[in-house]
Amino acid sequence: MSTAVNRPRWTRQLAGLIRKDLRLELRTKETVVAMVLFAIVTLTIMQFGFGTRDDDLTRFTGGLMWVTLAFTAVLGVGRSYVAEREQRVLDGILVSPVPRIVLLAAKAIAIVIYMTITELVVIPVVGIFFVKGPYWDSIGWIALVALIANVCIALSGTLFSGLALFTRARDLILPVLFLPALVPVIIAGAGATHAVVGGPHDMSEYRGYCLFLVGYAILFLLVCIATYDAVFDD
Amino acid sequence: MTGGNQYVVAAYAVIWFLVLAYVVMLGARTARVGRQVEAITRMLDRKAAESDTPEGDDG
Amino acid sequence: MPSSTTDHASRRVIGARAALIWGVIATVLVTVASVGVFLVAPEDADQGAIQRIFYFHVAIALVSLVAFAVACVAGILFLRTRKLRWDDVSVTAVRIGILFSVLVIITGSIWAKASWGTWWVWADPRLVTYLIVVLIYAAYFVLRSSVDDDRRLRFSAIYAVVGFVSVPLSFYSVRVAQSFVHPVVFTSGGANMPNSMLIWFLISLAAMLALFIALLEVELVGRRTERALRALTLRLESS
Repeated sequence: MSTAVNRPRWTRQLAGLIRKDLRLELRTKETVVAMVLFAIVTLTIMQFGFGTRDDDLTRFTGGLMWVTLAFTAVLGVGRSYVAEREQRVLDGILVSPVPRIVLLAAKAIAIVIYMTITELVVIPVVGIFFVKGPYWDSIGWIALVALIANVCIALSGTLFSGLALFTRARDLILPVLFLPALVPVIIAGAGATHAVVGGPHDMSEYRGYCLFLVGYAILFLLVCIATYDAVFDD
Repeated sequence: MTGGNQYVVAAYAVIWFLVLAYVVMLGARTARVGRQVEAITRMLDRKAAESDTPEGDDG
Repeated sequence: MPSSTTDHASRRVIGARAALIWGVIATVLVTVASVGVFLVAPEDADQGAIQRIFYFHVAIALVSLVAFAVACVAGILFLRTRKLRWDDVSVTAVRIGILFSVLVIITGSIWAKASWGTWWVWADPRLVTYLIVVLIYAAYFVLRSSVDDDRRLRFSAIYAVVGFVSVPLSFYSVRVAQSFVHPVVFTSGGANMPNSMLIWFLISLAAMLALFIALLEVELVGRRTERALRALTLRLESS
């Protein structure tokens, strides 16, 4: 009881929730493995989907990567509350005195982690599949954009999956709600990636897109804080 | 000249048409409300007629 | 039995007079604007007759944003007060906003065909952004119809707020993407319009604004009437 009292309660709650989600995921590895496989299959489909015999899709690297990440994000976000739903734990959590914001933060952090793990695979694979030319020097920049975008995805995704949770055709509704809001993130992510790989190699472009993503994250953070309570009200 | 004007006319025609269609849709809703009013009036008349019959009158 | 009190009460609740007044204002302004744009406004030197599309195209675009802003504010007010009237305003504003956004896309597409020979150009930021906007707000109705009654209004209000935050983000990201590729500004009729054109643009803007308010009021009257009727039917059936 002695050392625990010094930390504010919400950090303990947050840590507890995150630990719960991660422990569940580590046990089954369902979500992350599915996300990675889905991403790789999608990248493969992309190559054939273009319909050309073109072997060099370097200039499309940004677009290919981010379209794939967008759909993978929908998959991952859709799994946000699955554990709670399947074990009917959600009611228990809602009744408990955990502030909704802490719940939001826990879910969002989990999504950031899942997306990051997925990108650890996707970013190199994209380079191997599609890029003819220099790529591995720019990986750091791509990783940075991806990290910021993950925060954007996590914030908006958690909000929309919270809404979708209570709808009838949950798995159908989530993409319809989430993807239009994700479009700016995809535009910026693909633009920034394109700026460093296969494109004009313009760092000011890259910076512009990254700043935009930061703005997106801030705006959605504010919206989430303002509305997340109302999602779980009763 | 006439080519360009064709497009302008088309654009404004679309605007007018869609707005009008929207107003017509609102009008259909009003008609539905009107039908409901008629149904309620009939219901009221029926109830008035029932309470007027000599059966079950209090003394 | 009471007649005068119900009349007075219903007039207050239904509010049909406001709808009538705005309907008249809107009709007058839209007619004036249409006539003016076609017959009075001077022709553009560069684009010719096609430029006339922009008067209504841009006016409708701006008013659709107003509509979504109204929906957002009404959503916030609903979440605060839980008064049904704010949900009425919110859902109606979204519906009209979508109507206007679709009009923006159609008129923009016609302009694209007239100027570039194709029905769609990805390089026109307004066209692309309004496509995203329509997708965002069409989802509003998908959400609304798949949530059960106890949560429907609350979730609609939340989405009206979130959607409105997505709008400037979409605008800005599309614009940023365009500016790196096409430094040329695609939209005509910027702030450098000569006064003879500017005045007709402002009249068009006023006309579209009045149209929005009129449509809003008329639909609100319809919703309030329907609700009052439902309540009445229930009372009658239970008596």
